[in-house]
Amino acid sequence: MQIDTAVVLAAGEGTRLRPLTSNRPKPMLPAAGRPILEHVLDTLVDVGIERLVLVVGYSRQRVQGHFGHSYRDVPITYARQGKQLGSGHALKQAEISVDPPLLVVNGDRVLEERIVADTLEAFDGTPTLAVIEHANPSEYGAATIEGDRLVELVEKPDTDGVGLINAGVYAFDESVFDAADRTELRDGELQLPDIVATLMTERSVRAVRTDGLWVDATYPWDLLYLTRVLLSHGRVPYPEQYPGVWVADGAQIHESAALQAPAVVGPDAVVAAGAVVGSDTVVGRNTTVGANATVVSSLIDDDSRIGAGATLVDCVAGTDVSIGTGTVVSGGTADIAVDDRVFQDQRLGAAIADRASIGGGSAIAPGALVGAGATVGHGVRLEGRIPDGAEVVR
Amino acid sequence: MCGIIGCVGRGDETLQTLVESLGKLEYRGYDSAGVAMAGDRIELRKRAGELDALRAAVPETLPGTVGIGHTRWSTHGPPTDENAHPHVDCTGNVAVVHNGIIENYQPLRDELEAAGHTFESETDTEVVPHLVEDGIADGLDPEAAFRSAVARLEGSYALAMVVAGSEAILAARNDSPLVLGLADDATYLASDVPAFREHTDRVVYLEDGQFARVDRDGWVVTDADGDRIDVEIRTVEWDAEDTGKSGYDHFMLKEIHEQPRALRQCLQGRVDELAGRVSLSELGELDPARVHLVAAGTSYHAAIYGAQLLQQSGIPAQAFYAHEYALSPPPIEDALVVGVSQSGETADTLGAIREASRRGAETLALTNTVGSTMARECNRALFIRSGPEIGVAATKTFAGQQTALNLLTIAASPPSDARDAIAALRDLPANVQTVLDESNAEAVAEAYGGSDAYFFIGRGLNYPVALEGALKTKEITYEHAEGFAAGELKHGPLALVTGDTPVFALVTGDGEAATKTIGSIKEVEARGAPVVAITDGQSEAGRYADHVLRVPETHPRAAAIVANVQLQLVAYHVANRLGRSIDKPRNLAKSVTVE
Repeated sequence: MQIDTAVVLAAGEGTRLRPLTSNRPKPMLPAAGRPILEHVLDTLVDVGIERLVLVVGYSRQRVQGHFGHSYRDVPITYARQGKQLGSGHALKQAEISVDPPLLVVNGDRVLEERIVADTLEAFDGTPTLAVIEHANPSEYGAATIEGDRLVELVEKPDTDGVGLINAGVYAFDESVFDAADRTELRDGELQLPDIVATLMTERSVRAVRTDGLWVDATYPWDLLYLTRVLLSHGRVPYPEQYPGVWVADGAQIHESAALQAPAVVGPDAVVAAGAVVGSDTVVGRNTTVGANATVVSSLIDDDSRIGAGATLVDCVAGTDVSIGTGTVVSGGTADIAVDDRVFQDQRLGAAIADRASIGGGSAIAPGALVGAGATVGHGVRLEGRIPDGAEVVR
Repeated sequence: MCGIIGCVGRGDETLQTLVESLGKLEYRGYDSAGVAMAGDRIELRKRAGELDALRAAVPETLPGTVGIGHTRWSTHGPPTDENAHPHVDCTGNVAVVHNGIIENYQPLRDELEAAGHTFESETDTEVVPHLVEDGIADGLDPEAAFRSAVARLEGSYALAMVVAGSEAILAARNDSPLVLGLADDATYLASDVPAFREHTDRVVYLEDGQFARVDRDGWVVTDADGDRIDVEIRTVEWDAEDTGKSGYDHFMLKEIHEQPRALRQCLQGRVDELAGRVSLSELGELDPARVHLVAAGTSYHAAIYGAQLLQQSGIPAQAFYAHEYALSPPPIEDALVVGVSQSGETADTLGAIREASRRGAETLALTNTVGSTMARECNRALFIRSGPEIGVAATKTFAGQQTALNLLTIAASPPSDARDAIAALRDLPANVQTVLDESNAEAVAEAYGGSDAYFFIGRGLNYPVALEGALKTKEITYEHAEGFAAGELKHGPLALVTGDTPVFALVTGDGEAATKTIGSIKEVEARGAPVVAITDGQSEAGRYADHVLRVPETHPRAAAIVANVQLQLVAYHVANRLGRSIDKPRNLAKSVTVE
């Protein structure tokens, strides 16, 4: 039974990635220089999907504006999820836009073609989902299988060690929508794994054991990890200038600048005289790295301006970020609080959200989270969390 | 991105059905379109330009009950009448439409030309009808000839063919989409479902390597060997109406949101920040003694803006209404005459360009449409690369024109360090995105929708933006709107200002223009008019305004581009509240191809 339509869930903010998600949903955060969602759509197009339905919600204009009505010649339809009431609710919003059978994937995780291809191949009309082995099942949905039959899904189980998880890749026939109507809400939300549980009470659900690259970012520092993984797999669409150094067409690199592998310089980006970029670094589209600046182990998104002589280590910067002359993000590890939890010894020089501006000669301590549109003056010593739109002066 | 269609079984309505279906593929863009009807012979109609050009070229009906059609949006290569599809063979009995790229067309073409075939176009597609012609000459029936032709192709294709004397469409696909639509009385084929969605919801998606034959008796799908394949008939439940709008309610709103991307494309490869230079190699040496910009409508506002940029750089420049210029041109002398037109087909602008050419002037086309009449007739062409614009009210192409005029100005100016201006141009996509993300234009529209009139004022580079803001409002809200140079207010227009006429004041930077415009704000406030300031916060304009539409701080040249986006959004939201036909306002056409 051939599936040619994929529903991609791209409506969620990803609140644990704040403040990076102030203007855009998690799927639009950068991974190796391009939105995570672009990697997902590449995978789907590469396995032969011919119609894409993107469920959009939070900051949906950013998704629509980026992709328009097609991606790599595959037509895109948008379904709107007004309120983010769970992944199952998101799928429901796509019901009027699809003819089952259909594939459903999360738009915020990079995954290799094989995981999707195996799921498509195994699908014979029986609801099917992909399971993979993962080092950290407690963060995801743990799957128990018998042969090729799914026995149980447990969200965020309290277990240690390697186990099988739900890879978030599903193939459904039309019964999924009826099952969704019969599935009880949990905390007011309708979740896709709960719909799968409903299906399991009525018929068998197939589990496809597969493997391959599958990376997720939950917290800001994960974006650095995600980028390292993608670079080590060479998943960069630009010409490889020399091993591990990818430079997009239209990028300008001064002859005295140094690029250290692995490194990516995006389209229309500028790397000025004497600058050092890399290793494990991505400079996004139309971003400028000023003269003699040093950017190491960092992910700098589109349209940002790194001033002359600035030093950025272990730094995640969003779009349209401005870093003043000689400012230093010194890098290293810190204990970082997200929601009510403290994560110890996380490697993050700083996460600087979209449109934040940091004056020259400032020094930023590891673990700083600078809010979207925040303005930091000159010569400021910065640490901890700076709210969106805040003004910080010395 | 091209689109193909085909239709069998609609009798006398076949031709009109084809043309309507092409309209449904409008979102794929147009710079040329064509249809072929097959009866005893092939009737071919094709035109470069908007779909309206084709509509004007086709009669009510043509002989034949089987037809195919095609739309094209090219980013490379000229969309001339010749290059428009369908393409025919030497005998004119075989017509083909194609979406995709035939990679081995050159050797095939060389071989066919050596064998005596004559080619009319520069397209890769045209090899197909000539290959089929050879097969038929060798005694094959049309279907066998089609199969043997397709067998020789490498690359991607969705192909559809009609042959004179045969009431059937033959089709094949490889790596390009093709779908059949099955109605009780008729069968359709197309690149995408919306083309025939109003006629049927039953479809068959063809797969790579499959062939289809559609005729009055029905349809059949076969493999490369001609063996019948059992395919699945599906029912499309989704509504195709919004296809192409990318999830937006209107093309205009979509195109407003496409501006960051459109401006990136406009700038790509043209600015060199390290060297502080702009390179427009397609224009060659550029050193004009003076410049005349000719245009109409929104493009005229871009022309005024461009003339100011050139003047600031020391190049004498003037903007003219094209229709006036054609009738009573000023002394042209050694001026470079620049035609500004989104479509490149605007009759008035072409008239002005032709008049200038007749008088020996050098001409330059500044347009969005590669291979348009203006691009072909001018000595040089600078493309704004905004992508297809469907909404009648120009939005992203105005921003594209402004940006391209900045590039033209820097390229035409004596060598100097343009690093500041270039940095500001590179900041444009992000600055426009900031406005799109953070604009409160909808609330402003809420507050002032239903007013008696809307006035827009600005000085210097913001003056043409005031004119454009008023034009956008007129076009899509049908309400009274006027733009003025702020200094002109007290010389007459102030008499129109009342408590029910909001004044939109463009105030960017903190220079003399800003200070003086704040004076104008006070003048209108004294008459009780509400004021909406479009400002970057560098001046005190916000303090005197009832509402503020904030824009990021940037170079004055870029500020005029970014500030305009706020006015686009205000016009859109006012029109939307009034329930206007935003994408197709009454009495207006996208490109005005008549004088």
